[in-house]
Amino acid sequence: MSNLIKQRNPIAWLLDPVEPTADQADASYRFDWSPTAWLLPIGLGTAALVVSAVGWATEAQQFFFSYLVGWIFCVSLALGGLFFVLIQHLTQARWSVVVRRIPEALIWSFPVLAILGIPLLFGLHDLYHWTHADLFDPASPSYDAVIAAKESYLNIPFFLGRAAFYFLLWSTISYKLYTLSIRQDVDGDPQIPALQRKTSAWGLVLVSITTAFSGFDFLMSLDPHWFSTIFGVYFFAGSFMSIMAFTALVAMILQKAGMLQGTVTTEHYQDLGKFLFGFVVFWAYIAFSQYMLIWYANMPEETLFYRHRLENGWETYSAVLLIAHFLIPFIVLISRSAKRFIPVLGFMCVWMLVMHWFDFFWLAMPVLHEHPSFHLLDLSTAVGLFGIVSGTVLYRLSRHSLVPEKDPNLGKSLAFTNS
Amino acid sequence: MNTANTDIAPTSDVDYHVDDPLVQGNPTFHEITELVSYHTEKKTPLAWWGAFGIASGLLMVLLVMVAYLFWNGIGVWGLNNPVGWGFAIVNFVFWVGIGHAGTLISAILFLFRQKWRTAINRSAEAMTLFAVMCALIFPTIHVGRIWAIYWTLPYPNQMAMWPQFKSPLLWDVFAVSVYFMVSIMFWYVGLIPDLATLRDRATRKLRQKVLGVMAMGWTGANRHWRNYEKAYLLLAALATPLVLSVHSVVSFDFAVSIVPGWHTTIFPPYFVAGAIFSGFAMVMTLMIVARKVFGLQNIITVNHLEKMNLIILLTGSMVGFAYITEFFIAWYSGVLYEQYAFSNRAFGPYAWAYWIMMSCNLLFPQFFWFKRLRRSVPFMFVISILVNVGMWFERFVIVVISLHRDYLPSAWDYYSPTFVDILTLLGSFGLFFTMFLLFLRFFPMVAVAEVKAILPQSDPHFYDHSGDGQLVDHDLAVSGGEASGERAEIN
Repeated sequence: MSNLIKQRNPIAWLLDPVEPTADQADASYRFDWSPTAWLLPIGLGTAALVVSAVGWATEAQQFFFSYLVGWIFCVSLALGGLFFVLIQHLTQARWSVVVRRIPEALIWSFPVLAILGIPLLFGLHDLYHWTHADLFDPASPSYDAVIAAKESYLNIPFFLGRAAFYFLLWSTISYKLYTLSIRQDVDGDPQIPALQRKTSAWGLVLVSITTAFSGFDFLMSLDPHWFSTIFGVYFFAGSFMSIMAFTALVAMILQKAGMLQGTVTTEHYQDLGKFLFGFVVFWAYIAFSQYMLIWYANMPEETLFYRHRLENGWETYSAVLLIAHFLIPFIVLISRSAKRFIPVLGFMCVWMLVMHWFDFFWLAMPVLHEHPSFHLLDLSTAVGLFGIVSGTVLYRLSRHSLVPEKDPNLGKSLAFTNS
Repeated sequence: MNTANTDIAPTSDVDYHVDDPLVQGNPTFHEITELVSYHTEKKTPLAWWGAFGIASGLLMVLLVMVAYLFWNGIGVWGLNNPVGWGFAIVNFVFWVGIGHAGTLISAILFLFRQKWRTAINRSAEAMTLFAVMCALIFPTIHVGRIWAIYWTLPYPNQMAMWPQFKSPLLWDVFAVSVYFMVSIMFWYVGLIPDLATLRDRATRKLRQKVLGVMAMGWTGANRHWRNYEKAYLLLAALATPLVLSVHSVVSFDFAVSIVPGWHTTIFPPYFVAGAIFSGFAMVMTLMIVARKVFGLQNIITVNHLEKMNLIILLTGSMVGFAYITEFFIAWYSGVLYEQYAFSNRAFGPYAWAYWIMMSCNLLFPQFFWFKRLRRSVPFMFVISILVNVGMWFERFVIVVISLHRDYLPSAWDYYSPTFVDILTLLGSFGLFFTMFLLFLRFFPMVAVAEVKAILPQSDPHFYDHSGDGQLVDHDLAVSGGEASGERAEIN
């Protein structure tokens, strides 16, 4: 690729596969903070993870579940970013060009996320009931015929193979989209939009399939008896919702620091807010479909999932999910003025990110705890992982232009209004 | 408002991206009015009478079959003991599905600012209404005691009798009728400016009077437009959840049960995707013929058709992925009945129907990955028909294959339709095409006012470069700006 120098240092490559291009960026699109600002969230995150490591030593099972929730939160956020970028290219969206660099910076998190997933490998036995060999042994007293029938899918080598495949695929697509966009900043090659669209076309197909299956693998198989065909859509709905909140929030923070002035406007925030609202509702639609159909048919192998979440105190958590993940944001975000008033929208973005984490907490924790319990590790792992991921996002943002400044639709995006 | 029009700091260096105009051939406003209105004003062509004759002939077949059914009862259908839902429900879901494209085009694409929708929204919405009419016939005649159909409506009565609110079939009554009402309102609100245009062009007194009543006193005043656009936006916002809800509720008819192959949680979004898929295919079939017959190739261009093909490709792939997910989870669930239901679909006595569905819905739309094919009108015409065949068979697969072999092997049976089933299906096409032909004859088939609004001439900056003397502050005219945005700045 022309004019774009590949990163040679393998550690630095994980953070950003190309050398910085920020000095060639238009002055108004440059990152203003100290170039080491990214170290702050990374430092905080690492500190939180070090604290969490104590938990690994003392309460391994709790640690792994907490870690899984925090990790899957970051993975789904990055997947949401990937979907967003893919769809913007495919639809040749104009309004979103000024904010697109934020999810673009996020999607190169997949290699780091793969590495951050390594601790989970030590906890497969704690996390996934189906990893226990005795379940598959007819002679054993704990033999489970239902799980044994799934052995060809639920076995450790295949599971790890699939996980590796997902991350390889997501990283490959992210690499292409990220480097194409950075390269466009430098040389403005008119071929690039077509290349981005092309990658997005096949990318969307593969990312959709792998997203659904990663949902089945990482989350649904926590309870290996349970199954739901809509689960992949549920995973997607939350992911796409969360990236809207993340993108708007990062843009607000950058603007607060004096960057992107006059570039990202109320109009763009309103559009992000519309998508946020839309996917809050879409998530609720999918969650309701799953719940209603299982409740109505009342088949024991399916209702088990909700039964766990509607007894022993978990019912409060389920009610919180309904109220705080759907009703409150629905009421707040439906109005136009809320989406255009930065303090309210910003608050709701934080709120929805927290709720997105809570959604995974609600999915995973009832497998571990009969009675609800909130552990400090839940917080420390989530803060740790999210801190590292957002630190790397900041790192990439600081090294390049803050908007894809030679995107042919940038002019239209700058001038965009919700007439 | 802090937009880039006034703030010079953020810049874009390159602007080499120029869109194709949505309307080709550079027509004037008047030419568009003429092009569309003419077809409602000319002498009825012989070809129209021919088509109408065939369609209304089929409609007669429908009426005769319905009369025959009412006289004899639903025993004249091919229903048997395990298969209590046959063609009637298949046809119902098929037609409701087709009735999804109109509202998707007019509401969701409107909210997504897809301006190309203006060329096809009018006829797609009309098609939606007619498809929903066809759909509503089938559950109505399926009740057997047709004289008691009004019992589906909850109203206080001296029998103190209420419908079963726990039944998804009742939810259907609400969902589909609300959808029908909102769709008809949406369609009619959109028609008002064009009806006024026809009224103003009318030469005969009676025509003028009738259209005058229908246009509701529209004068095209600024205030009228303001209210109109507000109403349109609100209706779009109201109709958008309906696009999702109607077919979700239809899917509940199946998914709340415990019949293997019916009870699966992905049904709601998967039915919605399938509905949009089949609806677009039907719009495609109709538009390809209409644009040719009425000479609208410059308004409904190949670019429009290509975009619709992309939506067909997208939704077809979503449906296909749902098929695969269902299959996988049926295996993964470990439930023997589920596993059997799916292997019976693919390899049982109705495997032919399953593979028709798979190839028409998952396989054939994949040809649209090739730009040449998705821009080839004859090719897409064939695909659009195949998609509708496939989507009819999808409902057949779901309804019949799941029912004909469920939990109790001793109750298994094979279902075959009777001539009444087949002729009723055929007759429903008669109703659909009769209505559509009447629409083409009497209403402007393209949203004239909306198409004019997307012409380059309607951009206030259009004359900046032509120098016709309009007073426009050139400093505000940022090239590459969104037309609507600039208008807001200047006003």
